[in-house]
Amino acid sequence: MTRKEFLLTVSGAAATAALSMRGARGETANPKFRRGVTLYSYQEEYYTRAMTLEDCVAEVACMGAEGVELVAEEMVPDYPNPPDRWVEHWHGLMEKYHTKPACMDTFVDVFWGGRRNMSTQEAVDTLVAQMKLANRLGFKVMRPTTGPVEDTAPAMIEKALPYAEKYDVRICPEVHAPISLTGKFIENYLEIIERTKTKHLGFNPDMGIFVKRLPRVFLDHFVRQGAQPEVVRYIATAFQDNATLDQRLAAVRKMGGNAVDQQLAFAAQGYGPVTNQPKDLLPILPYSYNIHGKFYEMTDDLEEYSIPYAEIFPVLVEGGYSGCVNSEYEGQRNTQDIIATDSCEQVRRHHVMMKRLMGEA
Amino acid sequence: MFDKYMVLTRGFQNVRDNGQIVGFRMLVRITYYRGVYLPIVGGFDVKVDGESFPPDRMTFTVGGRAFTMEEMGKAEKVRWPFGEPAILTISKPGGLSPGIHEVEVTETLNPSYVPKGVFVGHTKRRITLVA
Repeated sequence: MTRKEFLLTVSGAAATAALSMRGARGETANPKFRRGVTLYSYQEEYYTRAMTLEDCVAEVACMGAEGVELVAEEMVPDYPNPPDRWVEHWHGLMEKYHTKPACMDTFVDVFWGGRRNMSTQEAVDTLVAQMKLANRLGFKVMRPTTGPVEDTAPAMIEKALPYAEKYDVRICPEVHAPISLTGKFIENYLEIIERTKTKHLGFNPDMGIFVKRLPRVFLDHFVRQGAQPEVVRYIATAFQDNATLDQRLAAVRKMGGNAVDQQLAFAAQGYGPVTNQPKDLLPILPYSYNIHGKFYEMTDDLEEYSIPYAEIFPVLVEGGYSGCVNSEYEGQRNTQDIIATDSCEQVRRHHVMMKRLMGEA
Repeated sequence: MFDKYMVLTRGFQNVRDNGQIVGFRMLVRITYYRGVYLPIVGGFDVKVDGESFPPDRMTFTVGGRAFTMEEMGKAEKVRWPFGEPAILTISKPGGLSPGIHEVEVTETLNPSYVPKGVFVGHTKRRITLVA
């Protein structure tokens, strides 16, 4: 058997993969990906006007991070058509602080608040306006949320692809909890990528899909709102047992759950599922152009309470991921009723953890 | 989320028309992490000192333009920016008396990616009206 013939066999392919994996493992201390922050993390300080856009960008730079991710509808004035002077301000900030636009996050409200449904063309037009904005701001990656989290929007996305090329933006639907990495959502988009050979469609995985136990800040918040402690304990266990939503709702009803208990059963859908394994990312990493470093609570030990980052980062290295991992703090909504939010402190802890896992000094 | 920030203390006052007090108003912010087009706002439930006010007695003013709740549902080009106070005006002949009032507001947002009921803000607090 010649070397070429060997490589064409299944065992040959496996051996080649093993070789490249070894090479990749050797780079653990020198990953190709970079640290960033989605300014979503600073939402509360921005909302209360305690921090300006410049304060947010300066804080990202202060941590030696590079990527800046922007939720357009959070911080862009006159969205989606900001004045030129604001666009200049944005580029000026990137230059001043040596940061780079990583990803722009957008929404297509396809149900118009439940009042009417958008046509596919109208949704595509919305995406096009967003891509024009991304292009003006120098974003090469855009994460549109195109409807219900678990639904793919193949018709909308395919029609938008020529514009993605035109505006040089990669459209990256978010792989967000409770999406399964081995399910239809991934399959449907992979099918479009493979069939069309497009370079402008990919994924934006959110690390909340790897939650191994529900955030305690989330559960404690529900207790304060009136959830019954035994129901909360049940939901925490049911999450780890991967009980379905129907099973959880039925069990909560049986336990005499109140309205808040029912809400908790629904809200637990925003995490995991526990069946997702970091290695399941490998098939989509070649098409992943941005990652949300989701976190809910960084402990005093500089660990995320729910998400096993130490198991995730080696997989990103193994898969050759070369985009940004942007810290995405989401715990503030669970604690703002009892403590003053300090988003910067939480994001800083997340970055110390990331530096450690990336082998940065 | 942002429930505790929804209703501002400043700006709570009676509204006059031709010298007559015709209602009152308060400043409200969005209980969500982005700004939205007005149809995404499901509406407001307002109670003051236990008295409920139906949606047809409210107007919502943003960027200097006033909308009835019905008009908001069709204002697909108008945005309520993130963190920007809007004016919620409620019709009540005679208005509110000067002093401390218990103000309870529920604000509903309906983004398309989650089922209804996920982004509902609620607050109940005591605010002083002076004039």
